[in-house]
Amino acid sequence: MTDDTTTPTDAADADRAVTDGGTDEEARTDGGPPATVPPDDETPTWTDRKERSQGLSRLTYQYFERSRREDEDLRAESTYVERDVLGFPAWPHETIRNLAITSFFVGIMLLVSAILPPHFGDPANPGSTPAIILPDWYLYWSFGLLHLDPINPELAILGGEKVMSDELYGLVAHGVIFGVITLVPFLNKGSARRPVEEPFWAAVGVSGVIFSVTLGVLAIQNLVPIELDLLLNLVFLLPVIGAVITYAVLKTLREGYMYDLNRRYYMLRPPK
Amino acid sequence: MSLKKNDEMDHNAWLKTQDLTVIETAFLTTLIWLDKRLRIVDYLELLETMYYRANLQMPKSHTEQYDLDNKFWYWYPLYSLGSLSIIAYLVAAVSGALLGFYYSPSTAGAVAQGDPTAAYNSIVAIIQDVQFGHMLRSIHRWSAQFMVAAVFLHMLRVYFTGSYKEPREVNWILGIVLIGLTLLFGFSGYVLPWKQLSFWAAQIGVEMALATPLVGEWAAQLMFGGFTLGQATLVRMYILHVFVLPFVVTALIALHVGIVWVQGIAEPH
Repeated sequence: MTDDTTTPTDAADADRAVTDGGTDEEARTDGGPPATVPPDDETPTWTDRKERSQGLSRLTYQYFERSRREDEDLRAESTYVERDVLGFPAWPHETIRNLAITSFFVGIMLLVSAILPPHFGDPANPGSTPAIILPDWYLYWSFGLLHLDPINPELAILGGEKVMSDELYGLVAHGVIFGVITLVPFLNKGSARRPVEEPFWAAVGVSGVIFSVTLGVLAIQNLVPIELDLLLNLVFLLPVIGAVITYAVLKTLREGYMYDLNRRYYMLRPPK
Repeated sequence: MSLKKNDEMDHNAWLKTQDLTVIETAFLTTLIWLDKRLRIVDYLELLETMYYRANLQMPKSHTEQYDLDNKFWYWYPLYSLGSLSIIAYLVAAVSGALLGFYYSPSTAGAVAQGDPTAAYNSIVAIIQDVQFGHMLRSIHRWSAQFMVAAVFLHMLRVYFTGSYKEPREVNWILGIVLIGLTLLFGFSGYVLPWKQLSFWAAQIGVEMALATPLVGEWAAQLMFGGFTLGQATLVRMYILHVFVLPFVVTALIALHVGIVWVQGIAEPH
């Protein structure tokens, strides 16, 4: 409030100090600072914005400026041939192809649901536990993880007591699996794409697929005519065997590719 | 100077001087009427700008540049798995909305243990009484199975073609979240008929929740409405299945596809 009493001189000072290209008194908004918005044809560059801001927003604009410059440099250096045709036209090529795929797939779903209607079981009875409790097939792996309690470790220090309850053990197993899958992009880097280029990671993937299947078998263990000990061993051994086979096959494939490449190379430039 | 409004841009007069067909006249009249009120020309201009910005010339993709289509054609069918899961999701949504007219999420009506409840009876009615009801339930169930299968296979395709690598890590994580939500979708739908397997699947869910340290009891209350199964469980699963998850999953699918749109499809190398 006290500031308002000194308005005449301050306003005069402010007029002289205008830095926005001569904003006059009439252009001011009610009570706000002098209008700093430039005319429409002068959109501020990132540099302008950077100079006007402070703190975090200044850093942001600094980064934007750098990244814009990086983009321009990359584009200038690029030897890519820009293509004339962007892709197949949306109409009719893409539209008809997508309609065909969609109607084919929906048709298959309708066909399967017409010839294989789902079974509908007995009503819920909290008083009697059914002999076989099973989720849908896609949760068999998860149910199998809950059946891992035979290998829940016991500690001799605790007098043979388990470190955590069997249920918690199953839950932790879920967490570990989801965590590992989440970490995959941060563990496997580089530009390799095909399984042949990375036999190790392809083997890991195959072992994961086999593991989910063997876990599903573990979930229906009372329907499988294999002893529990043997079954548990198989659950963990089969993925490893699958991984080893995959690794060997892909390595061999790669040798084959290299053999072909080398042969072509030496046909072109025979050794002296 | 007259007080009469001087309309310098008399669009209707301009319209009369044009020699237009009925369709063109109707279209322009509607456009002018709407534009005078909503100024849609501005928005059209924005859309046009966005269109041209989005359609800048793109560099050739890897497979195009090195003419590799003939070598990697066998990967391409696997690239449709993501859209197949979306199609199955849409079919499940439509059939589910229709089933919702006939289903009642209530455990009322059971006099003794093991008697059919209202939820169970409503599904019996869908199967036996409603025209095409059995087919409708069958479609809903099978489209859900197809969706989960397509989602799993989609994940395998992304893994084995290395499509999760930089700069697509975020979309990989988003995909894992979507798989989890898809499984939750399946689980909550599995509970709704309130048959024996539904009940005991939910029972395992409650036991798992209670086994979790610190947050377990709170989670059981939140998801299952208590430590024993009953009306509250069924209603929570119902709301999860028909209200919460559809919005969340649809939004995340849109984000997932949007990121693919922005980053481009990771082509086989």
